[in-house]
Amino acid sequence: MAVDTTKNPIPFEMAQIPGPEMAKAYPVKVIGAIIKKAKRPLLVVGAELFDDPVMFDKAIEIAKAKNMTIAATAHTIKGFIERGYTTNVYQIGLHPLTNYLRFKDWKGLDGQGHYDVVIFMGIFYKFANAMFSALKHFNRDIKRVSIDRYYHVNADMTFGNLAFDSAGYHEAIDELIAILKK
Amino acid sequence: MAKLEGSFTVEDMKNVQINIGAVVKEEEEWDQPMGPFPKPQIATLRDWDFKILNRYRIFYAPADDTCTLCTFGPCDLTGNKRGACGIDMAGTCGKIVLVACLMGTCAHTAHGRHLYHWTLDKFGDMKFDMGTDILVTAPLTETIIGIRPKSLKDFGKALEYCEEQITQLLAATHTGQEGSYVDFESKALHAGMIDSLGKEICDMLQIVAYNMPRGDPNAPLVEIGMGTLDQNKAVLIAYGHNLAAGAEAMFYTETNNLWDKVDIGGVCCTAIDLTRIGEGMGEKKVPDMIGTKAKVAGAVGWWRKMVRAGIMDTVMVDEQCVWCDALKDCEERKIPLIATNDKILYGLKDRTNDPVDEIVDDLVNFRVPGVVILDPVKAGEVGVKTAIAVKPKRADIRNRIVLTEDEFKKLVSSCTKCNECAFVCPPHIRISNLMEEAAKGNLEPFSSTYEVCVGCGRCEQVCRQNIPILKMYEYANREYIRNQKFKMRAGRGPIRDTEIRAVGAPIVLGTIPGVIALVGCSNYPNGTKECYDIAKEFVDRGYIVVTTGCMAMDMSLYTDAEGKTIWEQYPGAFDGRNICNVGSCVANAHIHGAAIKVATIFAHRNHRANYDDIADYILSKVGACGIAWGAYSQKAASIATGVNRIGVPVVVQPHSVIYRRAFLGRADLPEDWMVIDARDGSKVRIEPAPEHMLYVAETKEEAMLMMAKLCFRPSDNSIGRMIKLTHYCDISMKYFGKLPDDWPVYVRHASELPLAWKDQMMKELEEKYGWKIDWKAKKIVEGPIRPADVSFDPTNIERKIRVRK
Repeated sequence: MAVDTTKNPIPFEMAQIPGPEMAKAYPVKVIGAIIKKAKRPLLVVGAELFDDPVMFDKAIEIAKAKNMTIAATAHTIKGFIERGYTTNVYQIGLHPLTNYLRFKDWKGLDGQGHYDVVIFMGIFYKFANAMFSALKHFNRDIKRVSIDRYYHVNADMTFGNLAFDSAGYHEAIDELIAILKK
Repeated sequence: MAKLEGSFTVEDMKNVQINIGAVVKEEEEWDQPMGPFPKPQIATLRDWDFKILNRYRIFYAPADDTCTLCTFGPCDLTGNKRGACGIDMAGTCGKIVLVACLMGTCAHTAHGRHLYHWTLDKFGDMKFDMGTDILVTAPLTETIIGIRPKSLKDFGKALEYCEEQITQLLAATHTGQEGSYVDFESKALHAGMIDSLGKEICDMLQIVAYNMPRGDPNAPLVEIGMGTLDQNKAVLIAYGHNLAAGAEAMFYTETNNLWDKVDIGGVCCTAIDLTRIGEGMGEKKVPDMIGTKAKVAGAVGWWRKMVRAGIMDTVMVDEQCVWCDALKDCEERKIPLIATNDKILYGLKDRTNDPVDEIVDDLVNFRVPGVVILDPVKAGEVGVKTAIAVKPKRADIRNRIVLTEDEFKKLVSSCTKCNECAFVCPPHIRISNLMEEAAKGNLEPFSSTYEVCVGCGRCEQVCRQNIPILKMYEYANREYIRNQKFKMRAGRGPIRDTEIRAVGAPIVLGTIPGVIALVGCSNYPNGTKECYDIAKEFVDRGYIVVTTGCMAMDMSLYTDAEGKTIWEQYPGAFDGRNICNVGSCVANAHIHGAAIKVATIFAHRNHRANYDDIADYILSKVGACGIAWGAYSQKAASIATGVNRIGVPVVVQPHSVIYRRAFLGRADLPEDWMVIDARDGSKVRIEPAPEHMLYVAETKEEAMLMMAKLCFRPSDNSIGRMIKLTHYCDISMKYFGKLPDDWPVYVRHASELPLAWKDQMMKELEEKYGWKIDWKAKKIVEGPIRPADVSFDPTNIERKIRVRK
């Protein structure tokens, strides 16, 4: 039976209650369908992956399954280089990336155009939350999806908190990969 | 009365004093004419601000979606909607940022006002003299106000100016006033500038009055660490940012020969300032070298860890970075507390006018948890007497503060692993895992996460079992705490003119790769170790590293293989491969001051009342970058914003996204990177240098890479650019495993390519980027944004054009 990614949908940092518009927690199949349907999604991957390195492999699988560009924030690019995955991965700080994302005239990391869906994973919670907030308020054309192990209040779509269930989280990501590969 | 030319009348006025002579005298003594902007008002430097804000786009990440500032509210501003007053989300963010900057500015300026009155009361007016090596004595006061102070009293004019500006700025935040987020940010930049001036006033007053080092690269090494406080003596801790009462405690101890009975230590900036007293070459109104007798217990982030470790017998708090529950912390441990400054009174009774012995008796017998004493002399005496008298009475309590083995084990077993603590822990420490391991007898996780913990205590508040988690940390790390003894350099104060003369050209031309300023709190998970790592990385690479406040303290807690702290590993001059501790947070002003001095001493720019010209020079030519790795306070917001207005970029840690705002460049837009060549007024497209003005980094690795990049300046010569590019690429290779993607953007000439990758880079430029390469001559024929030109004179200010086209 698939892991329930909708349970425990409370802000991972409890005091992060932004206001009337809060994220909804969705099952993997719904989030998978949204990503699959996206015209130009961007997978944004942060340095928390170094704490759980198997997630690098899973990020690569997600990107391959959807032929998706990866934005590797902070020094995360190193994890991809170590795995020999260097195509369609861009090294960029999360802050300048989000800055670019909020401008509609930006041409994207590969110069091929803007993105319609951004998917965050492995980014320090508070930083990711703030960057979701920036997009929430200043570029509402981009759908904000979190496939992280936290409930992300400022995303459009998120998992509930799986922070203390590593196996369950891995299972959810595997399910997502399977959906994208279908 | 007859009116004659050259004279004027004063009618119906009494007791008027007109000091024309003083004005004339000042003009004669200062060889610079008054610049265009003495005492700039809110809108005076708006054009300069807009130059910064048009290039470095204001970026907001709102911390909440509503505005609740007035009774129309709460208003939902989600998606940049407007509230009932008409303000939109961006405007609200700008307003909050301005308010935050003003809080910081007020804290520094009010500190300056207190010191102004106190030092004049205690010492009388004193000659403002920085010694023979410092002739640009008060660079910010001179650049902003246009005056050169001659005595401490002259700083009164600067304070009046600051206070007026603060009032005007705060008024703009009232509901229904300013609505433009860009103008809010211009006002925030103005507040930041006032903050920098407030800090200079503070430090200049205390340097002169307390005879602190005046730019001494060999300022004494002093003791730091919780283990340096002698537990056989009474321990008095002075806590905060204003040294007045702590200094008096030291003078009382010295006068009464009590150093064998009491150890005086400090937490936060008061600690640094106590260790600077009496070490200068000025008037000897304080005991010589008394500062070396004080100890730095630690930075603000360590307060709760210290208080729970049972180190102190009496606490004197003053102002600013003091936790609001310090009294509660102390009361629970029967540590008498003396509030010495009217900004923090904790609801305690004002005993300023009571006899000393009566107050001491009440404190020592725990009749009251604390008192207010607003006379620093009396507070100092009461503090020392109380600490000595209360110590034996606290013996039992002291033992009870630290857990026993049985208590520790019992608490470990009471954890239900509900993980509520992890949900509120800023660094997300999985405390239940720590408990689980401790139950098996493994205390390593408690040790390895000790410095990751910021000591905020939120975990204790939510623990359903009421487990005192910080106390458990203290138990598990008791040996570490006991042995925490290190050396740090006492704050040296300003940078000497002679040092600026030596490094001015290398900084501007780029052969010294940059000035790295680590300032502010290091109240960040693992921030202590990471600030050491960052400082070490850059000092080893030949950058000039300067630091202040808690960052200076925290980086002192690590040693190399030979057991030397960073202060013992490197000299303390303002030079490449050196590290200077400039002083406490207010000494940040000397970092601005050093940048101003590069412009005025090295480049002979008139700085008097000429702020935008100096800031423009710094932005275009002085390769400097600030970092606040752990900043949490509003003062940090105003400090960074002040640094930004003067043209220096700042990198902060990811918790700092809660400040909501950043200034980020768009390297993809050529039109954002146009400057004027002052030689002929032509417009020149430059590389994005520096690319950002205020930047949040996710990890220390990213921070270091970005700092190396933010030291690029358009005026770098080819050798300098090669050196800077080499470090940028090398840091990237070291921590990222690859060259940075944007390195070609910074190449203007083949000689600027780092030698280690030169051939590889030339090939890549040709094949990947389509540049034309003359392989025989090993020259770049076509491709760069602009050619290298050593005489290029970039400016963003039209009045700097020398010959108009």
